[in-house]
Parts: sequence; C-alpha cells; structure tokens
Amino acid sequence: MDKVSISIPASPQYLQVVRLIATGLASRLTFTIDEIEDLKIGVDELAAYLTGTQGREGTLDIEFVIESDRIKIRGVGNFAPGDKIRTDLTEFSRQILKTVADEAVLEVSNGVPSFFLTKNKQS
Amino acid sequence: MTERGSLSKEEARDLFLQYRAATDEDERLALREKLVDQYIGLVEFLARRFKNRGEPLEDLTQVGMIGLLKAIERFDLEREVEFSTYATPTVVGELKRHFRDKGWAVRVPRRLQELHLELTKMISLLGQDLGRSPTVPELAKATGHSEEQVLEGLEIAQAYNFSSLDAPLDSDDEGSSTFADQIGSEDEQIENLEYWASLAPEVSKLPEREQTILFLRFYKGLTQSEIADKLGISQMHVSRLLNRTLTRLRGAFED
Repeated sequence: MDKVSISIPASPQYLQVVRLIATGLASRLTFTIDEIEDLKIGVDELAAYLTGTQGREGTLDIEFVIESDRIKIRGVGNFAPGDKIRTDLTEFSRQILKTVADEAVLEVSNGVPSFFLTKNKQS
Repeated sequence: MTERGSLSKEEARDLFLQYRAATDEDERLALREKLVDQYIGLVEFLARRFKNRGEPLEDLTQVGMIGLLKAIERFDLEREVEFSTYATPTVVGELKRHFRDKGWAVRVPRRLQELHLELTKMISLLGQDLGRSPTVPELAKATGHSEEQVLEGLEIAQAYNFSSLDAPLDSDDEGSSTFADQIGSEDEQIENLEYWASLAPEVSKLPEREQTILFLRFYKGLTQSEIADKLGISQMHVSRLLNRTLTRLRGAFED
C-alpha cells in the first residue's frame, strides 16, 4: 500500500494537478482510459464542493492511497474557521458519483470538511 | 441513386420542392438523401479547408454534414440564391464550432495536437481490438511514446479547453439536435428530458448534445468509449464535453 500526498491552494485551477496525479497513479494500476476518466470526474466533483467555483482561502490536502486493485483519495479542506461550505451532495452529484466511483463521501467533522472516494479496478 | 452533384440547377430545385412537399416520412428521408448526395461534394470541399488542424478529414466531413442537413432544412426556395451559396456559411460555421468545442481555438502546440490526434485514433483502434477501453501502458506501447507522454497527451486536451467555459449555459446550439437524433427513439428522448427536469433543471438549458451525453453516461451507464461509438465522435471529445459541462453545471448549482 503506497501513499502520495499533495497540498494545493483551495482553488479550482489547481484541481488539474490533482487530476494529473490521479491519472498517473491510476495508470500504474493499469486502469483503463474509461476508468481513469471516471476517477477524474469523481475527484473533480467532490473537490469542487471544497474549493467552490471561486476558490477559498486556505489549502486542500489530498492523499492518494494506492492498493493492488484500487485507489482511494481523501481530501481535507484547511480553511478559515467559519467559512460556510455546502456538504450535502446535490441529487445530481450523487447520480454522477454513483456512476463513476465505488465509494464517495462528503462530510464535515469538527468543522473540517473532507471528502473520500474509492475507485476499484474493474478489469 | 443520384450521382453526386450531377443535377442541373432546375433539377435540384425540383428535388427541393419535392422534399418540402413530401409528407410520408420514408419518402422525405429518401429525398433528403438525394439532396445530401447532390451536395456532399461541397461539404468535402469545405472540410478540406480545415484539414491541417489536426483532425481527420472524415471526421470533419461528418461535422460538415451536420451543417449541410441544417442548411437543407432552412433553405428558402423563394429566395433567389443558389443552395450552395446559402449552405456554405452554415457548413463552415459548423466546422468552426467543432474546433471551438475542441478548444483548438486556443493555440495548441503542434506536437501536442499530433500526439492528441494519434492517441484519439489509438484509443478507438485498441478499444475495438480489446473489446474494452485501453490502459495507459497499452497506449504507450501501441504508439511508441512513453507513459508520461501519453498522460500528458490525455490531460492536455482538457487544459486547452478552458476558454469555452465562459460560454453561457443556455447558448444557442441547434446543431446538436442531430446528436440527439442518433440516440434513437422519441421515447428515449422524452425519458431523457423528464429525468433531467426532475434532477437538475439547469441541465435542460444545456445544448441537446451535452444533455444526451450526460444522460447516456450517468443514467444509462454507458462508458465514454461507448458513448463515443454511439455518437460517432472520439472518446477524448466525449471526455472534454463532459468535463466542460460538469464544470459549468457546478457553477450553476452554486449560484
């Protein structure tokens, strides 16, 4: 089980870096292109809740856990206290995540928002 | 069967009149096909003008065909203008829109365009051979590039598409109806509309093609490769459209 971590400014424009890392790691696990696309969409969908479309003050800390046949991604928002963040997924997001990920959670614990996603290798 | 471009001006006009007058659906389609045969040469001619931008000519011809079909529907016989004169801006417009969609409006380095084109083709070819979407190592092996280069080629297309994110959500995009046509039955399209209306009203403001892709991916559960096959576009194009659409929608939800 290997781990890769990265901390990015909590802004949507940095999500491309997260997608690239996710793609690189997934390709090590020989995910197919379709699976990689799903993974990217899933991370984008969840991370977008934390960064918002305009970005926020603070950082988004992402940890990738690579297992033999799946990849797990956890993202934690380090924002100024009191920053209001929506953590109830829309119906639409739920539908998207149900399609592209095996597990997808968005939550707040002790005022800290985070997400968690798992994608298994199918083939 | 009409030979391409073989009709005289008067015969072509007659064909248009018959087409407009036809009420039987089969007859209409047959006449439309004759009109298409008559003007396919024009589409090919115009498509060739765009061929040095890293897209296969056959794809461009397909895109141009959408413009031709639009022009056939809208052409006004009362006007004293030749159909080819009328159709040219519509076909060219469709081709330009295609490049705008693909993000090539922003200058993409030639090397990356070529890499992208090569990968687009190889994803489709390998997909057919393997019966599933290929992996990055498989793509690297088949194209002779390193895995890093393949990764770069896959992701870079997204990066060059950001300019179009600012387009309004309910932009006029009539051409995409032809994509919806391809997903088949009217029932399915109604099902599509009802589904989105209940889930996310913002979606119904999207161009039909984007709605269709969302529907096929997140409701029907088709993979991007399967959608690409169904709509006759590349998987990478599906990926770009999907990402662009989802990003736009996130903005809409937040407002």
